[in-house]
Amino acid sequence: MKRFLLVATMFFLTETYALAADRWFHVKVEEAGADGETVRINMPLSLAEKVLPVIHTHNLHEGKVKIGKGDVHDVDLRAIMDALRTTPDNEFITIEGKHENIRVAKAGGNLLIKVRDSKAKAETKATAEAKAKAAAKTAAETVDVTVPFPVVEALLSAGEGELDVLAAVRALAAVGDTVLVAVDDGHDKVRIWVDSQNTME
Amino acid sequence: MPAGPGTVAGGAGAMVLGTLLVAGAFVYDMGAIKVSVQGKNPGGENIHLIVPAAAVPLALPFVPDKHLQEAAKEVRPWLPAIEAAAEELARCPDSPLVQVTSRHEKVSIVKRGGALLIDVDDTNETVHVSVPLKLVGVVAGQIARVPPPKGGRAAEPPPSEVSTL
Repeated sequence: MKRFLLVATMFFLTETYALAADRWFHVKVEEAGADGETVRINMPLSLAEKVLPVIHTHNLHEGKVKIGKGDVHDVDLRAIMDALRTTPDNEFITIEGKHENIRVAKAGGNLLIKVRDSKAKAETKATAEAKAKAAAKTAAETVDVTVPFPVVEALLSAGEGELDVLAAVRALAAVGDTVLVAVDDGHDKVRIWVDSQNTME
Repeated sequence: MPAGPGTVAGGAGAMVLGTLLVAGAFVYDMGAIKVSVQGKNPGGENIHLIVPAAAVPLALPFVPDKHLQEAAKEVRPWLPAIEAAAEELARCPDSPLVQVTSRHEKVSIVKRGGALLIDVDDTNETVHVSVPLKLVGVVAGQIARVPPPKGGRAAEPPPSEVSTL
């Protein structure tokens, strides 16, 4: 029995470590235009896991960031997260404005925020060319944010006035392939995602 | 039976050979730092430098204390992070880490074969730098052991990177 427990523990530790080691955090920023830059960052989550605990700055100690009360305007983030976690999948906020549609929902263990800016459509005037340009711009102005709940819970797991970034990174390593942020403002594109590929795409 | 002169010479030779083999293995294991700068303009500089990485930790003690202490003061707070990053990167599979592409410039940082390769290609020059990750850890460790200057203050904590959320 002892041997079995030892083997099981070893297997668990190896698997947990391999899990983080195989996960990659990617950032891609594409600027449109002739002088636009494309920036790609590929970082193993295990690197963040190793480095974060040994960084000691004014606000960051052992992977935890200190936040002042003023930064969250006395909002009880934990209470909000607890309420959201226990709520079934649903749409919480839907704003359909003349220029902008915003949707905040919970689905599949994730908090989803979607923003569709249709400002260009409202500004469209006269010519077909302008309409085509505006249509292209309209199609491009989107923001999609996916926040896995385990990551937020891990982030808020530190004591009061602290965010546990290290725990959030560990939680992020455990979630499946996820596009966390996708922004396309018609000019620039930003994409932040996590997967098990160590390539740039 | 007392050892003859031939036996002593043979033993000494074996020791020298063994030392050379160990030293050679150490130098080979550490890899080399490669720096290459190729100017693109007429009269531009061309520099190619290959230094055995093993030479750096050996040369470090000969750097004047003043310069080493100054450097140590600046980087000391970040040394554990640098050591941890180098160690973990060495363990990770080869992969591109950073890539910046624009019309005038290309920058890439790649981890390949235990080394960090940094390439910059702009309108004026092409720069290629290769640094063994093992060396980064070793040098960081050596710098961490540099004593602060007498009567000097301890290193300031690094500037806050994450101030507010």
